[in-house]
Amino acid sequence: MRALRKLVLGETWTLPLGVFLTLDTALVFDALAGDTPFWRHAGGFLVLACGLAALAVSLAPARRRRR
Amino acid sequence: MAGVTAFLLTLIGAALAVGLEVLEAMAIVLAVGSTRRPRDAVIGAAGAVALLALAVVVVGPLVLARLPLAPLQVVIGTALLLFGLEWLRKGVLRLAGARAPSSSLQEYLEEREAMEALPPPEPGQPDWPARIVAGKGVLLEGLEVVLIVAALGAGPEGLAPAITGAAVAVVFVTGLGFALHRPLARLPESHLKYAVGVVLSSFGVFFLGEGLGVEWPGHDAALLYLAAAFALAAQAQVAAVASRHTEVPA
Repeated sequence: MRALRKLVLGETWTLPLGVFLTLDTALVFDALAGDTPFWRHAGGFLVLACGLAALAVSLAPARRRRR
Repeated sequence: MAGVTAFLLTLIGAALAVGLEVLEAMAIVLAVGSTRRPRDAVIGAAGAVALLALAVVVVGPLVLARLPLAPLQVVIGTALLLFGLEWLRKGVLRLAGARAPSSSLQEYLEEREAMEALPPPEPGQPDWPARIVAGKGVLLEGLEVVLIVAALGAGPEGLAPAITGAAVAVVFVTGLGFALHRPLARLPESHLKYAVGVVLSSFGVFFLGEGLGVEWPGHDAALLYLAAAFALAAQAQVAAVASRHTEVPA
């Protein structure tokens, strides 16, 4: 089970949480502005920004570690 | 042009991801086979492959038949983003020197050591520890292969490029394993895994957007600028993490 959990969720909780928040944010925007040109043309870049932010947050502990 | 881009990216992404997973599974099977009886390692691996095939045959058509395209793209995009970002996170740490480099050879040597510590198999009796270790290794890596190929196969070009890339990788890596009897020592696995992370994350964002009704400028060619964005951001992270680390932990 541990191996399966590691396979699906990875080694940290920050990354699955970040991906969940990305999905959550995208669904909220889709619900609020799904039919507008803003979402159709800019929504993808919002998802991209959330994905990049999730990566950056998951690496924050490694960036903080001192020599 | 956009169609060719998506086809090639899917094919390359599937070939790289599957090749690396098969390489890891191969390292375990070779380690078991070279320390115990090769026949038991092959039986364990074959059992795992049969289980995976059964799962694909039973679950695949059910999922595809019951889910409409848009929700399926959202689910697959999320799964690819989860996988891709995890590969990319580990890749950044490895390239920055904050994590030991990925090495199937090292895994092979460690697995050999673990198997040598076990009591030898009894003559004429099935070697269950060898079968279970080989089977578990193939099952876990194979599960990831199935998920990645299925997810990439849901793309605009269908299953063809994902299956072609996966098949080429399986034949190539398995052939290499049978010919050399040990994993390659000089393969740049860390860099390859980093590249797979970039490709899978790009497909993840692309599918997630498509599933939610987003129109990507450039259509399938959007995969290129998404990959460029992930590569640039990851390189910036490599530089930031590397500036904090001077030595590789054991």
